Amino acid sequence: MTKHEVSRESFSRRIWRKTWQGWGVKLGFAWIAVLGFAGVFAPFLANSMPLLMRKDGVISAPVLDYLTKEDVLVLAMFALLVILAGVSWSAGKRLLVFIAGTLLATLLINALLTPPSVVIYDQFRSAAYTQVEWRVMPPIEYTPQDYLRDFGDTGLEEPLEATERTHWMGTEENGADVLSRMIHASRIALSIGLIATGISLVIGVILGGLMGYFSGVIDMLGMRLVEIFESIPTLFLLLTFVAFFGRSLYMMMIIIGVTSWSGYARYIRAEFLKLRKQDYVQAAVAGGLPLSSILFRHMLPNGVAPLLVGVSFGVASAILAEATLSFLGLGLVDAPSWGQMLNQAVKSSLFNWWMAVFPGGAIFLTVFAYNLIGEAFRDAIDPQLSRNAGVNG
Amino acid sequence: MLTYLLRRVLLMIPTLLGITLVVFSVMVLSPGGISAQTLVEGSDMKPQEKQALMAYYNQRYGLDQPAPIQYLRWLNNVSPIGFTQDAEGDYNGFSFTKGMDLGTSFMYGRPVGEILAERIPITLLLNAVTIPLIYLVAIIVGVKAAQDRGGRFDVFSNVSMLALWSMPTMLAGVLLLGFFANVQHFQWFPTAGISSRAAQDMPFLPHFLNGVFVSGFLLDRVWHLVLPVICLSYAGFAGLAKLTRTSVLENLHADYARTARAKGLAEPDVLWRHVFRNSLLPLITVSAGLLPSLLAGSLIVENIFSINGMGQLAVEAVKGRDRELVLSITWISGFLTLIGYLIADFCYTLADPRVSYD
Repeated sequence: MTKHEVSRESFSRRIWRKTWQGWGVKLGFAWIAVLGFAGVFAPFLANSMPLLMRKDGVISAPVLDYLTKEDVLVLAMFALLVILAGVSWSAGKRLLVFIAGTLLATLLINALLTPPSVVIYDQFRSAAYTQVEWRVMPPIEYTPQDYLRDFGDTGLEEPLEATERTHWMGTEENGADVLSRMIHASRIALSIGLIATGISLVIGVILGGLMGYFSGVIDMLGMRLVEIFESIPTLFLLLTFVAFFGRSLYMMMIIIGVTSWSGYARYIRAEFLKLRKQDYVQAAVAGGLPLSSILFRHMLPNGVAPLLVGVSFGVASAILAEATLSFLGLGLVDAPSWGQMLNQAVKSSLFNWWMAVFPGGAIFLTVFAYNLIGEAFRDAIDPQLSRNAGVNG
Repeated sequence: MLTYLLRRVLLMIPTLLGITLVVFSVMVLSPGGISAQTLVEGSDMKPQEKQALMAYYNQRYGLDQPAPIQYLRWLNNVSPIGFTQDAEGDYNGFSFTKGMDLGTSFMYGRPVGEILAERIPITLLLNAVTIPLIYLVAIIVGVKAAQDRGGRFDVFSNVSMLALWSMPTMLAGVLLLGFFANVQHFQWFPTAGISSRAAQDMPFLPHFLNGVFVSGFLLDRVWHLVLPVICLSYAGFAGLAKLTRTSVLENLHADYARTARAKGLAEPDVLWRHVFRNSLLPLITVSAGLLPSLLAGSLIVENIFSINGMGQLAVEAVKGRDRELVLSITWISGFLTLIGYLIADFCYTLADPRVSYD
């Protein structure tokens, strides 16, 4: 007689375990970890100034003097994440503390930090910084905005073409180091993916939840809204938004978020339509609980797991959207971006292969990684589907 | 069925209105908005000329009036039924036959309808070539993968299809253009446009003229389309092949398939006459979503390969803040998308007699 076993494993833990089984998802997470590392420590990985140097007996760290507010904020958020990972609090509490900590850090940094407004990168190659007792340089000795004007005409050089300087991935049209720009661009790509998807998730869940819960007229009106946003090609709507609203990173995050919520809304609506007549929901209504509690406390957790799949694919498409906009010349002006670099691959009738292969490869790998993760989540959450697809044998 | 179609078409009207309303509000809410001031550029213009041009725009499009009135004016011009205007811009009557007027492009100084009539066929041609190709490849790969479930072909196609699906169109476009059309590498395909200048005077079919091969209009066109169509189609068939595989697998092990085999039907007959027909449904559902993604894809592909289609026009229009063009293009692409959904629902009933919409 077989012993009946009761699994004490929680739902989220089981999903996580099943997701983690394949090798594809591990590769995906590994690549994203690499990007995260590059994004967080970008100023220490690629910079024109020494990390540490000793001159006239004084040890100084020029990198720290030139850190921007953004750099410090990213570092602070990373530190906060590391600390919170070690504390055994509930997920909700951690999230709250993280948001509060980030806000506090933003305020403190804005009040206390005053980085130099103009940085002349050529000066880091002058005697003041080179004739020292010893110094430690970052692995890539160029800032993304370091256009190497002191070296003359350096635009669009092939990798390792120059003899007196090392550019592992060549230079772009203004003479800046491509690898350095790529490292700094990973920050933009990651943050745009996560924040834009977060925004669209919030909009989609609220609208979809209300539509599914109330049905009737609200559902009918909501579905028209969903249909409107679905039938304008997202990319086109984005173009219009960006062209008419100007180009700032935060604007782009909001815009990508605002234009891509319809899928989540559709999904949550369908789920809530199924749930609304269930006994526990009826009990919550009869108990006189407020609407937000019924929707988000009682109904949402029962329909949220499959959203993970949508979120993974959503992050991939948000990154793609930013890259596409930058590629079409509607992205950020001076900030490094993969799409904008890819755009330079076929400029001036010459084919600059390194501008296509490296930034394009980075976009491809990131999108691929998120898609792999999304697939793994789907297989873990929907065993029926994955069995049909022959994944679990 | 007819009533259903009619209801769907009527429901399209509020959606189309909503689309234009969304785009219009974006333009109005933007810093600067749409005013005659933002449209009149050029510091080399004399003040009087500038003033005159602004006055002209204001009079023609009512740009000095509040946004809702501007929108209603635009809507009245576009809708086939509405109020008619006389030469001074005053409304003098209501007509059911006044026809649609999409306005004049600020940028090109030509009627929008005329510009679109040139550009839309090119984009439609690109998509019309792409869609059958997508289905052909997806069905072949998907069915083969399903038959070979768990085998080498299955695993290989699964991973490569996901990789292809993740490949950004612009990267594929740039690489194809760089390696197969550029002088530095293989110069096999043309770099830009959809036909060469010389092809305009050529006869339609390829032939030999005095012993010299003349490619003819058709072959020249095909030659120009190869790279753009590859770029447009690969992502589509990658996604669809996975879907075909799942759907065929589901049906291969269904009871009716077993019955068919038990009756002694040959395996290809089971597969193509029974299983495949039933696996078509999800493929049809997806076809509706294919059109918007293809329109968005044309946006990139047309830019990379310098094809004068609607996608390129769209980018130019938003960059130039050309209100009439932007509104018309969104409106038409939204319309095409909705038509796509409608056709998909209609095909649904053809493929599965159980589905009815009454």
